[in-house]
Amino acid sequence: MSESSRAVSASPLTLMRVALRLLWRDWRGGELRLLLLAMVMAVTSVSGIALFTDRLERALLQESATMLAADRVLSGRQQPPRAWLQEATQRGLATAEVQAFASMVFSDQGNLLVAAKAVSESYPLRGELRVADQPFGTAYTETGGPARGEVWVESRVLPSLGIDIGDTLYVGNAEFVVSRVLVQEPDRQQGGMMENAGPRVLMHLDDVPVTDIIQPGSRVTYRYLFAGQLEVLDVFAGWVQEQSAGDFRLRDVRDESQEVSEALARGESFLLLGSLFAVLLAGIAIALTARRYSERHFDYAAILKTLGCTSNQISAIYFGILLALLIIAVVVGSALGWLVHEGILLLLQSVIPVELPSASFTPFWLGALTAFICLFAFAMPPLLALKHTSPLRVLRKDLADAPLSTSLPYVFGMAGALVLILWYSQDLLISFFLVAAVAGVALVLSAMSYLLLRTGSAAGMRAGSAWMLAMSAVRRRRRQSVLQVLVFSLTIMSLLTLALLRTDLINDWQAQLPEDTPNHFMMNITDDQVAGMQSFLQDNNVAANPFYPMVSAGLLTVNDEPVRRPWGDDDEEQGRSTLTERAGSEEPDNESGLPDGEDGTEGADRPQRVENRQVTWTAQLPPDNDIVAGSWWQDSPRAGRVSVEQDYAERIGVNLGDELVFRVNEQEVTAVVDSMRTVRWDNMQPNFFFIFSPGTLDHLGATYLSTLLLQDQEKLLLNDLLRQFPTIVVLEVDALIEQIQSIIAQVSSAIELIAALVLIAGALVLLSCVNATLDERFRENAILRTLGAGRKLIMTSLLIEFAFIGLLAGVIATVGAELSLYYLQTEVFQQTFSLHYWVWIAGPVAGTVIIAALGVAATRKVVNTSPLAVLRQLSA
Amino acid sequence: MTAMIEASHLSKQVSTSEGQLVILNDISLSIEAAEAVAIVGVSGSGKSTLLGLMAGLDSASSGDMMLDGHNLSTMDEEERARLRGRCVGFVFQSFQLLPSLTALENVMLPIELKNDSDARNKAARLLQRVGLESRVQHYPNQLSGGEQQRVAIARAFASEAKILFADEPTGNLDAATGARVIDLLFSLNEEFGTTLVLVTHDDRLAQRCSRMVRLVAGEITEDVRIDVGATADV
Repeated sequence: MSESSRAVSASPLTLMRVALRLLWRDWRGGELRLLLLAMVMAVTSVSGIALFTDRLERALLQESATMLAADRVLSGRQQPPRAWLQEATQRGLATAEVQAFASMVFSDQGNLLVAAKAVSESYPLRGELRVADQPFGTAYTETGGPARGEVWVESRVLPSLGIDIGDTLYVGNAEFVVSRVLVQEPDRQQGGMMENAGPRVLMHLDDVPVTDIIQPGSRVTYRYLFAGQLEVLDVFAGWVQEQSAGDFRLRDVRDESQEVSEALARGESFLLLGSLFAVLLAGIAIALTARRYSERHFDYAAILKTLGCTSNQISAIYFGILLALLIIAVVVGSALGWLVHEGILLLLQSVIPVELPSASFTPFWLGALTAFICLFAFAMPPLLALKHTSPLRVLRKDLADAPLSTSLPYVFGMAGALVLILWYSQDLLISFFLVAAVAGVALVLSAMSYLLLRTGSAAGMRAGSAWMLAMSAVRRRRRQSVLQVLVFSLTIMSLLTLALLRTDLINDWQAQLPEDTPNHFMMNITDDQVAGMQSFLQDNNVAANPFYPMVSAGLLTVNDEPVRRPWGDDDEEQGRSTLTERAGSEEPDNESGLPDGEDGTEGADRPQRVENRQVTWTAQLPPDNDIVAGSWWQDSPRAGRVSVEQDYAERIGVNLGDELVFRVNEQEVTAVVDSMRTVRWDNMQPNFFFIFSPGTLDHLGATYLSTLLLQDQEKLLLNDLLRQFPTIVVLEVDALIEQIQSIIAQVSSAIELIAALVLIAGALVLLSCVNATLDERFRENAILRTLGAGRKLIMTSLLIEFAFIGLLAGVIATVGAELSLYYLQTEVFQQTFSLHYWVWIAGPVAGTVIIAALGVAATRKVVNTSPLAVLRQLSA
Repeated sequence: MTAMIEASHLSKQVSTSEGQLVILNDISLSIEAAEAVAIVGVSGSGKSTLLGLMAGLDSASSGDMMLDGHNLSTMDEEERARLRGRCVGFVFQSFQLLPSLTALENVMLPIELKNDSDARNKAARLLQRVGLESRVQHYPNQLSGGEQQRVAIARAFASEAKILFADEPTGNLDAATGARVIDLLFSLNEEFGTTLVLVTHDDRLAQRCSRMVRLVAGEITEDVRIDVGATADV
């Protein structure tokens, strides 16, 4: 046996002990503080943000579930199989059943069109029913709906029919006792006009057959409600989809309310982007600090090698150090993340009305996994490069630090960034583009800063001596300077992008639902009621909004060709069916969520289906509508013109100048496309795909639609209004608007916090980047001072050097931020992009001031240490 | 006696922008166990390079290098590292202590790397032997140059090496301190029966060895045994 194979080599335990000892000493010496801080930062931001969004999202889902009276809803014009309810019960889900239909009800004194709703005993599964014992009386909570033989009615039913609590009400062939006044039901906004066309009468589901109202062909909406654990619901949803071959789908609040889901989706995108930025910045900080740490450890590795350590053992030692760092960072970062999220919750107590469900464990895993990826992508490569250190270095210090100059760390870093982005965005294509974009930006930035450094420093060489010193420093360290400009500009760019995006998002939201957003829709108003209603509103000091005539129109042909189906499937249509459409449609297509074939009429032999849309005519362009092609007829309205919403026009293949034929109330109407508009769909205002010029449809008998802003204390006016105009329909969306505003407030606060976290991560990067050149600066400045350079001269030259680098970084960052904002706003956040002029001043100025201040603060000790001490330490 | 170190026709060249630069040219040299050999020469004569090759810190361009019966020329860096850990100790001009470890921990390191559980006691005894028992918990930057070199000597002997390579061990020390350090080095060398290879440009220091090899421009120009007081070509 050879001696070498008999040799006892260090055990993993020994190596770990050595690693821990080095770690402990380096920690005390301060060398690891920035590295650990950067890692803790990554874990804190990820786990904190994830914890917060996790809990907030659960809370929002829970809160919005009350809008559905359930977690998931299955609805249809046809009754879904009852067996599905049993299946759900077997899976441990709570179920309830609802049938909704419009019906005339009678009393001895009169009759009234009401929105009748029959509910099973377990209704509602989420939220609560509030009732009172007399009209407009004090409300209290009931746990279930009315008993058999009883009905609950909304307050204004009683005066309309001249009856009181305890009196009899006739529905179809049955008679009921009015036992309660219905004040609030959680899912009041659900369904289309059929369900909301009038005040509510709530009855027991088992009473429906007795009334004999539902006949073949009656328009009834069937709804099955489900509630229970999210996971079970998801599995059940899949089962339903399978059973129905995709005809039925369980929907949650995101499907139901486009307004809420858009706010949530944008907020989530921002949080995701923010935490991604925070992690990537922390990643850069980790890479920089790890690089500096490993540079300082070349000698260690060489000495260890002379003592008999093999390359693998050196790798094991530094791996051990990283592992220990990882554990510390995960523990400390998770704890801090918890504190951060608790802090946010404390701050947001007033805007988060619901009690938050407890957090899941996932955010901690996310944090730990992020730290792991960061560490191994960003910190591992420079540390593992240590194993290539030549032991000869102990004899010849001048041996180049070759191992680190390879491109391996960059490849690892990019791969790590890709994994992180992919993981956060869950989208391969976007990830690829983002990484490609970052790589491209990095390349361009390097080239730009190289050129700028060359010309800038050449100019500086002709200036005074502090300038000369500064510029020669920049020039001497050109590679490092480029790296610094690159890192600084990426950091400032991230911060600028996020800050601008945050401001734009919040402004956008505030513009979407300003304080005076109307919270009531009035419909079914006849021509001769308009003037009376306007004076009623005036008498009661309520501002009147425009009255839009509204009529249902079906598009038959475009330039004599049949119409292309506008949306691929009903989901998308659902997404685009505006509040106006949902509320006003007499024929609410796909309102049920069923595909068109569900009623068995669509097939190969079925004639071209005509899609009805609520349309209007007006001389004034409605607010939030912008003409993007053609022109508005404001000054010279001519009959036979129509303006089409741009997106919709694209989908049905309509262009300017096309001739469209509509069927309106059994008559054909021809109109030429005069303009294309963009419409703000989420502004809770009446919005239309088609707007006709005055004189085109006027003779076809329309009803009017208007909106109203009523404060809480003005709500009683509704009763007077309805007494005076009993045939109109009022849709109350105040609760929905309040809910959206509260969600937006919450999401805005979260956004502010994320921006702050990213700022801290950015500061860490800046600090580690400045620190990276510290050793060299010590040496240079010690030599300069021994040669007689004064402190003032050195400080001034440092200031100039950093300010110059900061200015370059600021300019590049501004360009980069505007470019990435352009991409994000147009592609991800669906906003309109416009240049931010003030940033073109603020960016470069901030870059100059921040980098100069930070640089000088961090390098001040360079001149405060005696040159002899520096030289002695460096030669040791 | 068997040769502990044996170099035959050893050459080292490096590429520079001006072509090949010959640092060592056809060096053949045999050092026996327990010998104390001084390698002398002016700056740039190739002494440190030769020491690096003999200790297996670097590999030769051509020729063979045997260390304790192992052919270094056929070993890779990993094998050479293991061999170093087993039978080679070093003392450097710039001490090369790990600045973040205490004196004791620095001396413990090679013992620990051999998986010896008694590292702490052995290291403490060695530090006592070099007269630093009161400085065990001090960090290198809290020690004077002479003290640092004494820690380095303790560490060199801690690995129970058969061969000790010393590269200008007094180069960073004043004359008096240097003399004390050299006394210590030679007495420990005798005590442990180690083979000593000492690189120096100081002829007086070289006189304390049993043999002196002089390098001029990468070639051996002189190889004398000092104890017999006569010059003889080997």
